[in-house]
Amino acid sequence: MNSSSFIPHPVADAESYESLLVGAVKAGFPSPAEGVREKLDLVKLLVRHTASTFFFQVDGVSMVDADMDEGDILIVDRAVDPYNGCKAVCFIDGEYTVKRVEIGESGAVLMPCNEHNTRYKPIPVGPDNDFLVWGVVTYVIKKA
Amino acid sequence: MFALADCNNFFVSCERVFRPDLEGRPVIVLSNNDGCAVARSNEAKALGIKMGAPLFKIRDIVERNQVTVFSGNYALYGDMSRRVQEVLRSQAPSVEVYSIDEAFLDLRGAVIDDFDAYAKRVSALCRKLTGIPVSVGIAPTKTLAKIASKLCKQYPKLRGGCYMHRPQDIEKVLRKFPVDDVWGIGRRSMKKLAYLGVATAWDYAQLREYDVRKNFALPGWRTWKELRGVPCIEFEDYVEPRQHLCVSRSFAKEIDTVSDLCSQVATFADKAVTKLRAQGSLTLEMAVFAMTNRFHEDEPQNFSSQLVTFPDGTDDHRTVVIAAAEGTRRLFDPRFKYKKAGVLFTRIVQKDEFTPSLFRDVEAGEKDARLSQVLDAINGTFGNGTVRFGVQGDGTVLSSHEFRSPCYTTRWTELPKVRI
Repeated sequence: MNSSSFIPHPVADAESYESLLVGAVKAGFPSPAEGVREKLDLVKLLVRHTASTFFFQVDGVSMVDADMDEGDILIVDRAVDPYNGCKAVCFIDGEYTVKRVEIGESGAVLMPCNEHNTRYKPIPVGPDNDFLVWGVVTYVIKKA
Repeated sequence: MFALADCNNFFVSCERVFRPDLEGRPVIVLSNNDGCAVARSNEAKALGIKMGAPLFKIRDIVERNQVTVFSGNYALYGDMSRRVQEVLRSQAPSVEVYSIDEAFLDLRGAVIDDFDAYAKRVSALCRKLTGIPVSVGIAPTKTLAKIASKLCKQYPKLRGGCYMHRPQDIEKVLRKFPVDDVWGIGRRSMKKLAYLGVATAWDYAQLREYDVRKNFALPGWRTWKELRGVPCIEFEDYVEPRQHLCVSRSFAKEIDTVSDLCSQVATFADKAVTKLRAQGSLTLEMAVFAMTNRFHEDEPQNFSSQLVTFPDGTDDHRTVVIAAAEGTRRLFDPRFKYKKAGVLFTRIVQKDEFTPSLFRDVEAGEKDARLSQVLDAINGTFGNGTVRFGVQGDGTVLSSHEFRSPCYTTRWTELPKVRI
């Protein structure tokens, strides 16, 4: 599954019905949309938990065929528990990196986010590593 | 029951959220203008760095122990505080934000069967969602809850949560708790307390009610009752408008020209008015003050101030900025080099409770009010100082913040960077 693509879903609690101050009604056919003013709020779609959502920016060399490019903005939600195969911002041995986390019986393995690129090898996390999953990436904002 | 949620070494913890490599290492955060240490990690406290220690006095400790030093990053701390508050609000029926790093939770009427587990859960949730370690103390009164939260910091085994309610437990804790660390016991009381032989919170709670009322007035009596388990400090989820408002800064370099000092003070006055307007108040009086560097004992020392009154009350940017600049011109003395200056609103009233004089110029007032509204709207949207008065110069404050971390959560250009 390509989890970095947007999956739009209806926003349940949209504050989309603002009351309109209806002034003098001019002659003519009344608009059937009168009194209805809906709009989409991108923040509501992308930020589910305002307390625990943070933004990161992808830095470094961009890769051919990569899911992520330099400059992309990652939306990271600490409320989401890391799951097998999740993309996450990790902190390993003093550096931030974004990786796909595979959680196996022998511990976690950090896979490069771009599966096609063989330059980047999986990193097994051992007891000697100073390691933490900072937060799970829920969306990637990418300039088209 | 009441809970106090207190963020551990808050400013340091905010920095560490984005710098996990600093976990377990000595870190300090400096006050405005990089003057003094205002937050210290436990490791920095262990090195003997005291609260409020001026940087120049601890330079060698800092260098010898590779202490990481940050300038205050109040945009970051404010945003992290907002996040912790949100988590707390999701866990309690009512929250009173007491300061940037502390909040009381009112748990009266909440259905919680295990307060100890609840305290630990709230602490763990704050840590997971925001990255900030929080100590949650629960007790029958706010004063005792504060003491319980301090226990969490002393004993990591409590895992961030402590429920203190059995009389024998409270007694055991209070017997070891220094009275001057009790919430509401001021430094001014220390002489009297020593005279009465009071060293611990327990000694204080054992005083006769008559002696407490006689020596420590109403606040002291409330603290006495609270220590005895009787709640009497109101839970306030409504914040009283402030009665005083001060905006002041010390400068990176001493200022010795009247125009520089004027533009600084005018900028402080403008900030103060923005705060005043946000709480819907008027000020009747403003003190403008400036002082020399008290650490340069060999140079001539001076503190001077000018009092300005506004008989009809004002919350108008232009009126206050002009008055602040005029006050500065009057107090400026070319013999001195000024290190710090500011404005203080000393008499504040609520706008809707104040009757102005009958003979004021209503028409001019309305025009000024419109100007102030427009200023607030523009500067609120595009950032403080976008539109300003000529006397403010370029509107920047000449203070230093050499070691400020990026505004990770409030500026698009300063997001934390992550490699693929």
